[in-house]
Amino acid sequence: MKNIKFIFAGVVFTLAASFLGILLSGRVQLGSLGRAPAEEGGLLFPPREPGLAIQGREVYLSLGCVACHTQQVRPASQGNDIAKGYGPRHSVARDYILQSSVLLGTHRIGPDLANYGARAASENEIHQHLLVPKAGSAMPSYAFLYTRGKDGTLVPTEKAIALVAYLKSLKIDYSSPEAKLNQ
Amino acid sequence: MSQDSYRPSFNLSRVDASVAQPVRLFFASAFLWLVLASMIAVITAIQLKDVSFLGGCSLTTYGRLKALESNLFTYGWLTNALFAINLWLMSSLTRFELKNAWLANVGGVVWNLTLTYGAYQILMGKMNGFSLLEMPKEVALASWLGFLLAALWPAVAFSRRPTGHVYVSQWYILGSTLVFPITFALTQLLVLWCPAQGVLQALVHSWYYQNLHLLWFASSAIAAVYYFIPKESGRTVAAYYLSTIGFWTFFLFASWTGPATLLGSPLPLWVQSVGVVAALLMLIPFAILAIHFLGTLSWNRGISQSWNNTTLRFVLVAIFALILWGLLFAVSSTRGFNAVIRFTAFTVGLEHLLSYTFVSFVIFGAAYFILPKITGLLWLSPKLVHLHFWSCAIATVSLLIITLGGGWQQGSGLRADWPSALFPTFLLLIGHIAFVINAWGMLCSKLSSGYKPTHA
Ligand code: HEC
Repeated sequence: MKNIKFIFAGVVFTLAASFLGILLSGRVQLGSLGRAPAEEGGLLFPPREPGLAIQGREVYLSLGCVACHTQQVRPASQGNDIAKGYGPRHSVARDYILQSSVLLGTHRIGPDLANYGARAASENEIHQHLLVPKAGSAMPSYAFLYTRGKDGTLVPTEKAIALVAYLKSLKIDYSSPEAKLNQ
Repeated sequence: MSQDSYRPSFNLSRVDASVAQPVRLFFASAFLWLVLASMIAVITAIQLKDVSFLGGCSLTTYGRLKALESNLFTYGWLTNALFAINLWLMSSLTRFELKNAWLANVGGVVWNLTLTYGAYQILMGKMNGFSLLEMPKEVALASWLGFLLAALWPAVAFSRRPTGHVYVSQWYILGSTLVFPITFALTQLLVLWCPAQGVLQALVHSWYYQNLHLLWFASSAIAAVYYFIPKESGRTVAAYYLSTIGFWTFFLFASWTGPATLLGSPLPLWVQSVGVVAALLMLIPFAILAIHFLGTLSWNRGISQSWNNTTLRFVLVAIFALILWGLLFAVSSTRGFNAVIRFTAFTVGLEHLLSYTFVSFVIFGAAYFILPKITGLLWLSPKLVHLHFWSCAIATVSLLIITLGGGWQQGSGLRADWPSALFPTFLLLIGHIAFVINAWGMLCSKLSSGYKPTHA
């Protein structure tokens, strides 16, 4: 192994192999995934995201919520996510096809949010949580997303409103061809 | 570690003098980023305990500082330091005198300026959601060019080398130099510029992440270990004939391990299984590395001999970390184990084991060896060297215990909170400041008087 061309060719080959082997074949399998009904003639899922939620994702991104929150529910065979109440079923690739940037996340300092919209009570309550998270938890307060109105009450900024719309839109409470809800 | 504290200076060899300028630039910037990243690490560790700490504005919110910290650590500290080590190592192994040092300098400046700009954008909240791809996409092209200009020279040195002999170190340097630009370009394209659909982004990201850590950082550090063990212990590498297999299996399997970090995700099962198989197959090159490194040092009191040599002492800790990482990574890629530790602090521990206890310790060891060669000076204070070693060694071991043990507890439901690593993080900062004071003392004292000291 004295020849640089030989070493470079070998290294390029190893990279190309994994690129073709996992990325391209993954793409062949998943690339054309579209919205689909769980049963013939049913509603198409995942639902289109409201415009405000799309703006909210940008806020979520820009505040780095992904450092502490994941958005993926693992199957019952691969962890206790469903038992913990993170979602009624596990996440499937189809759930993410409309998302411009996928925020699966890698660390759970806080709970998984893939189905948060389905378990959140009201918008007011979510605002309240962002202002004053549970005492003693590691979730920081996002009070800087709120301003004080003339009468002294806290008013959410546009960012806070969009963020809450986004959080409300996070749902996997529908059946998909790959993962049915078992009722 | 018994250097005299007075500092005679000596002549640089012609080869060392030819690379001294860029190597000093890379090291100087690496040290700066290291201290900055360690300071931010302390802040984020405090924030996990006291959420109100610097939490009043978006600029210093946890999510942004965390992203900033990891980017500065990987692209500021590790990458700059490896630019320096790869360049110095390759030119000294090939006896190649670098003529275009200024181009390497330009590369270093471009790389660090784009990093500064990217870091600023992260603070302003303009960032992406994938770890270590947070910097906005418009810096990608400049980063890429900066990397090529800064990191290309080992390949040039190798192909124009005046001496014929080839060392294992050189394969690993050449491999890692080539892997980063290719992986980086493809990933930027498929995640940020024309994003792949849905979870495919996560798949591409895992490919990038593993290539970055195994085939750029670890591979460069392995090159340095292959150099320093024989050099400083005077021994030949045991079972040397295994090195070709070791090298090719390492490169072949490493870039398939990405999906092993995505077990339980919405990706197809076969993709995840491929990752698991690759993670297990990585045990082959790791066994060979263990035979080479520990096998060489373990007989005839080699370990205690290494302990008395500053460079080898760091390298020794690093070798144990590398082997432990190989084992833990294989184990944690099995489905049952992974179901427990996924998303917990355990994964933080694994990452720390590879990028800090292995790669950074090799960098420290190498810096203790290389800086005198390129400045013509000895280290300022042996006391600071001790302080550096001990605070970092104690810190890294306690951090591993806290994160690996705590992560396991989290996963098995024994604890609900995220384990706090504030104490070791603070200790790391102290160690790094000791190191950097010592190093900057050498780097700065010659800035005014040129690169070739005249009195021998
Ligand atoms: C430092 C880590 C951290 C960061 C950063 C963080 N969170 Fe949290 N989050 C937590 C923790 C811990 C909890 C659980 C305690 C609680 O409910 O307050 C939590 C809880 C939540 C919940 C309630 C979940 C449930 O199931 O009830 C929501 C919603 C939430 N976070 C949204 C956000 C958003 C939006 C951001 C970014 C603006 C964010 N978090 C940033 C740690 C974090």
